[in-house]
Amino acid sequence: MKEFTKSRLALGAGELWDLGTRAEFLNAVGDGSLPEDAFNRWLVQDYLFVRGFAGFVSLTVAKTPRPGQSALIAGLSALDDELGWFEAHAQARSLDLGAELHPACQRYLDFLITAGYSEPFQVLLALFYGVEVAYTVAWGRLEVQGPYAEFIERWTHEDFQAYVGVLSRLTDEHPHPRQQAMFNEVMRHEREFWRMTWEG
Amino acid sequence: MSAEALHKTLWQENQALAEECLAHPFVRGLGDGSLDPEAFKHYVAQDAFFLQAFFSAYALGAVRAVEKREVVQRLHRLMRGVLDELKLHEGYAESLAIDLGKVRPHPATRAYTDFLLRTAWTAEVGEIMAAMTPCMRLYAYLGQELALWDHSQNPYREWIDTYSRAEFEALATELESLLDQLAEGTQSVSLAYRYAMRCELDFFSASLA
Repeated sequence: MKEFTKSRLALGAGELWDLGTRAEFLNAVGDGSLPEDAFNRWLVQDYLFVRGFAGFVSLTVAKTPRPGQSALIAGLSALDDELGWFEAHAQARSLDLGAELHPACQRYLDFLITAGYSEPFQVLLALFYGVEVAYTVAWGRLEVQGPYAEFIERWTHEDFQAYVGVLSRLTDEHPHPRQQAMFNEVMRHEREFWRMTWEG
Repeated sequence: MSAEALHKTLWQENQALAEECLAHPFVRGLGDGSLDPEAFKHYVAQDAFFLQAFFSAYALGAVRAVEKREVVQRLHRLMRGVLDELKLHEGYAESLAIDLGKVRPHPATRAYTDFLLRTAWTAEVGEIMAAMTPCMRLYAYLGQELALWDHSQNPYREWIDTYSRAEFEALATELESLLDQLAEGTQSVSLAYRYAMRCELDFFSASLA
């Protein structure tokens, strides 16, 4: 995880990096005190986010030249598995996945998809990296234990970390002057997303 | 069954939000001239940034409707309307020393432009019209309401004059008639309209924060 915290964009984000990767919600996951309704809210909104995010990744795949493209296609397929995994969990908990997007989630997706159409692939790589690295680092601060161990495990798994490493490398291989500012926007949206999961 | 025009139904469904905008301290401040000039300066810069996205959304709508010549012509007229509206901002930018080329969008502005552009890139042209209409109808409404007050000495009278003018009303009506022609009364159309109204309200609040 340290390598990510020291990556160019993470360092460049300054305090936003901490704001985007630490949350009361996660602290409560870690010590097992998370209220059930907050967990369910997170599950539904994160699922809806991933559905929209897959659209963003498709746009990124379409714009990125080979050979970087092949790594991204693998990511798209992993997102599809992730949606199936969310659906199984939602069903087990009788949650309605047809719920409305929370405004925080809507703003996040509007931002990503608009960028997906209007920004060059170098910027899209930085956004993609931002979304994934924020997740693996945020969850990676927790011990894999307690009632939510399976969830912590998912985003701290070495395969996922290796994948984030590939995104980090691709982003650095294709620099662009707008990468940092847009990466910072991702951190802002991450912070708002976590706030929503905690406060409703 | 009455076949009320779609634009009317949507406006009526969102009347409470329109009233909230009219009663908003920012709008009241414009109306009675008491608005903090710094808040107005912030607003002008953000609105100019917003209008560039608004202009792009018309252009993307026109791309989507390219086979309907008459629709494209009307969208082009509306685009000219945005450019005229921007002259007001350019005038203010000059007198208030704002560099319109260097505006950093506030999160509320960004939320609104991201929503508009996402809709413009991904949705049917009718839904694009639904996302755009609130801005035009609401401003015509606010301008006309504020113009009823005595504003001869109001430092913001140029703003009120711009949006209470018959030319602006004609643009709002034009967009509403495109909405009626191109959109169906689907859930996604009403959601887009309502979300845009909420963004308008947040936009005013952001200028006071």
